Amino acid sequence: MAAYIARRLVLIALVLVAVSILVFAITTLLPANVAYLILGPFAPPDQVQALEHKLGLTDPVWQQYLRWAGAFLRGDLGESTLMNRPVAPLVMEALGHSLVLAGTAFALIAVIGIALGVIAALRHGRPLDHTVSIATYLGIAVPEFFWAIVVIVVFAVWLGWLPASGYEPFSAGFSAWAKPLIAPTLTLVFGHLAHVSRLTRSSMIEVMQSPYVMAARAKGLPERVVVLHHALRNALLPAITVLALDFGRLMGGIVVVETIFAYPGLGRLVVFSIQNRDIPTLQAAILLVAAIYACANLVADLLYAFLNPKIRFGRDAA
Amino acid sequence: MLTIDDLTVRYRTLAGEVEALSSVSLFTRKGSTLALVGESGSGKSTIALAAMGLLPAEAQVAGGRVLVGDDDILAMTPAARRRLRGTRVSLVFQDPFSVLNPSLPIGSQVGETLVYHRGLSRAEARARAIALLDEVGIVDPAAVARRYPHELSGGMRQRALIAGALAAEPELLILDEPTTALDVTIEAQILKLLETLRAKRGLTMLFITHNLGVVKRIADEIAVLYAGQVVEHGHTSEVLRSPMHPYTKGLLAAIPRIGARKEHLAAIPGRLPDLRDPPAGCRFQSRCPFATPDSALPQALLDLGDRWVRCSSALRLRDTIWPDDPPTPRATEQKREIGKPLVEAEGLSKSFGRRAGLFGWLSPSRQPTETYAVSNVSVSIAAGEVLGLVGESGSGKTTLGRTLLRLIEPTSGTIRIAGETVTDRPQRALKPMRRAAQIVFQNPDSSLNPRKTVRELIGRPIARFRLAARADIPARIDALLDLVRLPRHYADRYPHQMSGGEKQRIGIARALATEPRFIVCDEPVSALDVSVQAAIINLLADLRDRLSVAYLFISHDISVVAHLADRVAVMHRGEIVEIGPAEAIMESPQHPYTRRLLDAVPRLDFP
Amino acid sequence: MPPEAAARAPLSPQLQAGLIIVGVIVLLGILAPWIAPHPWDTISMRTRFLPPNATYWLGTDEYGRDVLSRLLIGTRLSLAMGLGATAISLAIGVPIGLAAGYFRGWVDEALMRAADVLMAVPPIMLGLLFLAVTPPALWKTALAVGLVYIPQIARLARSVTLSLANEEFIQAARARAEGASYILFREILPNAWPPLIVEASLRVSYAILLGSALSFLGLGAQPPSSDWGLMIAEARSFLDRAPWIALAPGFAMCLLVIGINLLGDGARERLDPRLKSRIAA
Repeated sequence: MAAYIARRLVLIALVLVAVSILVFAITTLLPANVAYLILGPFAPPDQVQALEHKLGLTDPVWQQYLRWAGAFLRGDLGESTLMNRPVAPLVMEALGHSLVLAGTAFALIAVIGIALGVIAALRHGRPLDHTVSIATYLGIAVPEFFWAIVVIVVFAVWLGWLPASGYEPFSAGFSAWAKPLIAPTLTLVFGHLAHVSRLTRSSMIEVMQSPYVMAARAKGLPERVVVLHHALRNALLPAITVLALDFGRLMGGIVVVETIFAYPGLGRLVVFSIQNRDIPTLQAAILLVAAIYACANLVADLLYAFLNPKIRFGRDAA
Repeated sequence: MLTIDDLTVRYRTLAGEVEALSSVSLFTRKGSTLALVGESGSGKSTIALAAMGLLPAEAQVAGGRVLVGDDDILAMTPAARRRLRGTRVSLVFQDPFSVLNPSLPIGSQVGETLVYHRGLSRAEARARAIALLDEVGIVDPAAVARRYPHELSGGMRQRALIAGALAAEPELLILDEPTTALDVTIEAQILKLLETLRAKRGLTMLFITHNLGVVKRIADEIAVLYAGQVVEHGHTSEVLRSPMHPYTKGLLAAIPRIGARKEHLAAIPGRLPDLRDPPAGCRFQSRCPFATPDSALPQALLDLGDRWVRCSSALRLRDTIWPDDPPTPRATEQKREIGKPLVEAEGLSKSFGRRAGLFGWLSPSRQPTETYAVSNVSVSIAAGEVLGLVGESGSGKTTLGRTLLRLIEPTSGTIRIAGETVTDRPQRALKPMRRAAQIVFQNPDSSLNPRKTVRELIGRPIARFRLAARADIPARIDALLDLVRLPRHYADRYPHQMSGGEKQRIGIARALATEPRFIVCDEPVSALDVSVQAAIINLLADLRDRLSVAYLFISHDISVVAHLADRVAVMHRGEIVEIGPAEAIMESPQHPYTRRLLDAVPRLDFP
Repeated sequence: MPPEAAARAPLSPQLQAGLIIVGVIVLLGILAPWIAPHPWDTISMRTRFLPPNATYWLGTDEYGRDVLSRLLIGTRLSLAMGLGATAISLAIGVPIGLAAGYFRGWVDEALMRAADVLMAVPPIMLGLLFLAVTPPALWKTALAVGLVYIPQIARLARSVTLSLANEEFIQAARARAEGASYILFREILPNAWPPLIVEASLRVSYAILLGSALSFLGLGAQPPSSDWGLMIAEARSFLDRAPWIALAPGFAMCLLVIGINLLGDGARERLDPRLKSRIAA
């Protein structure tokens, strides 16, 4: 098992290198000239050229990449051209905020999603199942930013319960910190709940129809034992895997939610850096997201390998 | 002990309401074993489910009772029914793998009923489970109890299932095709185990199977089911020795026997009636060679004193046997010509090693190190000869067949077909060989492209090898359909519109379309019912005679192989352990494995 | 349900609902220029922020333009986005998946690792990245969305191909010395297209959602276009005064996506209910 983890980490590293090359390649195509940004649009050409040379922009691309990658690995993520601050703390701070938001949403999605899915499966074909199915259908079909709009219109404009945007640090007190978090969390939960719930439901239905569940019934075991002891552990396996993957999706969806609610997280940072041609920040932010995404995938695979006896305990006997 | 009284069960399906069981009445005496015999569609599994009170939601009991002892299961409350299962009646299922929960260790699954029905603690149940596993013949039961289902072999799983079924000491044990998915040698072991347990515990057994040899071995009484009705019921030896219902006669005549090699097996023509609208009269009428106008009347189960038969002509037909299939007249009456070696393999080996590639090492579970599916096999098949290849699962017989055709690439060795070496060429250059050497597959559902018509399926090989002008192809297709005894209008049908036997015939026709000299028949009848098997085997025998095609006939069923083959090769763990003329192998096998194999086959013959 | 039997079975309510919804929306989109009650781009400061009334069924926006008319024109943009992006994903993704699933070996490894790299970044961020380098335009957004979804389509095509490649009729084709292209296009593809078509229809809805999200963030359609995502973005500032400007395109998008999902799910049930268990996407 340890060997497997080591191997996967190597693969993640390779993928991240590839992503960094991709990101670097794309961003070097950006037409905006960094030198002009620094010196101003009317700078004389020879000054611009001198600065370009100094910044290393005239070197061949692969050399630029290696220089950049080397600095990156040393922890020097460059300086934000927009805010003239080092990128690393900027990005880390944003990451922290995003993790808080994503983490809270994730916990809620996991618990509520799986519970709903299991209940719907057990009441398969009956009114409760239909209701849950319809609700989750809507959940999947409704775009994230529309949920956000609805949440804002309902909770902020009409009911006035929640602020429509903003962020307060934890130091301002729990209530002040928590309040602006509710609306974006709610939006994320609405948007992603359906997915988990549907998968859990269909997985549970499939398991309940499997031969070993029928065999458990044939032994006259009480129904709750059949469901909780036999069915659930097999049904949850795909659900848990998907959840771990969903964490990665959550990081993606967070872009829109953070933008709408003006929440200072990683997603909003990415959008800002694109709008303002802040290349170093953009590169660092995207790589960080990719790294988190990859780790989420790794955790998903590890969980699956750990929970599935076929993989954990090796191959079949002769 | 178990009495089924006038039971009728209907299923609601997409296609309509199907009457799976019609007024079925059966009984098993305490301590005896009743075998329930039938082919697919007979309703035997439905009886097992009904006896356990486990019928699915789509099933509706339209009448009748199921009595365990004196209690009607169908009239019980669901709670009472639940308590009955596992304690008074236990069910052993067919497929030992999918019936075990992959995420729970064996020991806990064996001891479950004790915890929930007998109130034992987990620890006590575990100890009992280990004792039970020992009783069913599992070596090192304590270690096995900790393992998971996927770590056990098929035979071990079935033993574990039997242990689990007997844990709470039921009076009645229902077994639904418990050995069908197992190799013949393992089957023999499981049957022996069941006999021991039965004697020791005084079990009453309801044994469901389609294999009459197994019935003879293990059952006191036999009930034959056809299209949802009991057509014959009596003592095993009597029924098998002198069957009275035409269907039973037909079944017995369709089974190839070792030691009684006939020219032609008797086949049962036709298909099951449509159970959405079952015929009012005899359901076997359309396929019965003895049908009379009386057969159109509803047939009651006649009581002939310890024998029940559902046939108004039963007494009249008492001594009549099922008519033999008339052998087709051959072009010449001389003995079939066996010529020079057509296919020669020397030192052929195939190993499946680690998953190759840079990223193979990235998967969490490693493949086992190199295993040889085929190990240093040398064999030759002469023109017009049938070489039977017998082996159990994992013996490598399918791999050998496909490797000979280079559908699987050999790891080492040479293959010569019609004198030309084919192992040293790239796949592209194999076209002439592909014409001369063809293959018929096992699974009729997977061997035909579901989106092609018969015309396209059979016509394509002809076009591919340019064996006829475009305009002549329809005539060729007609000729091929005649050859496999299907009506010509089948050319416009799709696979889903045909039965298993018909699809298999199309597979044969497709193989014949290239006018091959050698055909690998890879378990061509294993997926078919017994009555259909006979017809296909007859067809293959005919084609062998008429077209002088050589076959490599692969099967796990040695009696089928012996019926058709000139020589037989026995394969075990990748090696050919014995090879020789068919009669010699059957009558005086030399190799210990061959002997074990032959001993294990449940025989139908009477001394 | 086997191919020919399917044609005779009645349409499920799901499928019917999906067909009706999508059909109506497509029709409205096609006829939009002719049926829109008011011009969609005429600015009129007198009629700003009017709530839904008899003249302006869905109200007016901050420039006095009729929301309904803008919505109708926007329908075409959304549909074009969905179909265009999906077409690109299919055109590139399906051959890649087929090749990977059929040829296996290093071809499979290389293609799948490349897909992994593309999937290492969440779709919306990948889309943002692609669009960051060039001045925004709706067709570029469609292209970017199409590129972003190539790996998913390729993966599905690959798994479908893998499961089909094990079928015996493929072996039979090899036994006839059929070439790879015949096997791929005449044996595998005709059996592979049902799950691919179903996935493609669902992809259209994802593409519409992603495309409008990108427009929402300013990297898609540009003002004064009436793309739905852009409409919602512009309406953000006026949620307290005139929520209808944002709600209308939002509901429209919901309806379209729900319709497409109903269609896709209904089609899946119909084409082959066995598929779900056979194909592990």
